[in-house]
Amino acid sequence: MLRAPMIEVRHLTKRYRDLTAVDDLSFTVGKGEIVGLLGPNGAGKSTTMRVLTGYLPATSGEVRVAGYDVFEQPLEVKRRVGYLPETPPLYDAMTVGGYLRFVADLKGLPRARAAAEVDRAAGLAGCGGVLGRLSGNLSKGYRQRVGIAQALLGDPEVLVLDEPTVGLDPLQIREVRDLVRSLAGRHTVVLSTHVLPEVALTCQKVLVLQAGRLVGFDTLDGLVARHLPGRRVALEDVAFLEEIYARMLGAGPAPEGRA
Amino acid sequence: MRGLGAIFRKEMSLYFTTPVAWVVLVVVAFFSAQFFTGAIDAWRFLAARAAAAQSTGTLERMNLTDLVAARLFGSVALFLVVTAPFLSMRLLAEEKRTRTFELLLTAPVRPAAIVLGKYLASLVVLAAALAIVGAYPAILSLVAEGTRGGGAVEWPTVATGLLGLFLLGAAALAVGLFFSAATDTPVVAALASLVALLALWTATQFTVGAGEPARELAAAVSAAEHLAPFLQGRIVLSDVLYYVSLTVLGLWLADRAVEAHRWA
Repeated sequence: MLRAPMIEVRHLTKRYRDLTAVDDLSFTVGKGEIVGLLGPNGAGKSTTMRVLTGYLPATSGEVRVAGYDVFEQPLEVKRRVGYLPETPPLYDAMTVGGYLRFVADLKGLPRARAAAEVDRAAGLAGCGGVLGRLSGNLSKGYRQRVGIAQALLGDPEVLVLDEPTVGLDPLQIREVRDLVRSLAGRHTVVLSTHVLPEVALTCQKVLVLQAGRLVGFDTLDGLVARHLPGRRVALEDVAFLEEIYARMLGAGPAPEGRA
Repeated sequence: MRGLGAIFRKEMSLYFTTPVAWVVLVVVAFFSAQFFTGAIDAWRFLAARAAAAQSTGTLERMNLTDLVAARLFGSVALFLVVTAPFLSMRLLAEEKRTRTFELLLTAPVRPAAIVLGKYLASLVVLAAALAIVGAYPAILSLVAEGTRGGGAVEWPTVATGLLGLFLLGAAALAVGLFFSAATDTPVVAALASLVALLALWTATQFTVGAGEPARELAAAVSAAEHLAPFLQGRIVLSDVLYYVSLTVLGLWLADRAVEAHRWA
């Protein structure tokens, strides 16, 4: 499976004053792949995503998205990336429809296409029914959906979703999971989560971070072969992934660094 | 500039769907009405005294534009300095507080477009407020006429007065935008810009007993000193430059602060 790399991260380090959030992280994501970022709280998942999207500059290292350097050509990167931050970036005083039209405008979508694009993204994210409501009155789950819709606007090549299923109920989680899976192939998706079944069911590759360092980056099959040799697993069976995850975090940084 | 229009339209809709702009406009309308009627009362008192003293010379020299319109503008000026921080406080600080800043900075838009789009929206609210202030001289011209026939209001002087107020307000908003970029709490932004602007406004008060160089310096940085010629109907280049440079400085610092926020 040889694909052009859509995201290339080389020796990325990000320090906040005295805290090293991401430490010499390297990985590549191929076009159309769905990669799940896993790791305990404070492992550097959100920081990695913020650097990928051009929100935070890296302390050192290189990040390229679709061939463009995030630091040198930020606008080219930002044009190709849809981003759901950790906190859905909503304006409480705006209606959902007004907000999505604003984001479409901000992304530079032509006016003529914007209305249809807002409907499409809202429909995909499951917030088409609340377009007339004020964001400030939405439940946590709907705020999250509007945040996802906002990221989908303009049909960007790359989607960076920071904990997309946080605050959703189990049925909504299933919808988002289906949505992410449907994006595979045409879109490159990087998502972070604490929910292990989600990774098993939506992602082709798993990247595990611990204290800012890469602990492992492999396909699910590869992880099973390495950590649970000889074990046969079913995709719906989550226990195997929990076991692998626990072993990886217990084992510390993998010596080979990357897959 | 790409994205500037989107930011501008969003800020306009937020100004007018939330109470902020309405409160500022109502407050400006209410207080300029008070200043206006006060100035007219003062005029009537002066006119009555001059008539009682049979001083026709004084009566003829009494000028509605200077005594009512310019006086109204002078009172409104301090008001602009005090209300501008409340128009600008939210602009960037609120984005940081509610984490929407991350949306703006990951959109294909330059920081300068964000800063300018927001600034232009605040200028529109300022222009609306000044349109209300400008309505009072218009009312005056409807009910009064000049001593030798013709209009009682000298429109060129009213126009330069309004221009001066606009430049003052524009500079105040730019300074406020910088403080809004420097903090993530709108109230802190408002208080900091209020202190800075009032210090500029009252600069000459600090050097009343001081020597000549200090007094000259204070007059040069005073926002109030530079307004006076506009109210007398004169446009002086150095005064225009003062407000324009203060505006440019505020916007440049705001742009730097937005950039620097990412490096913190």
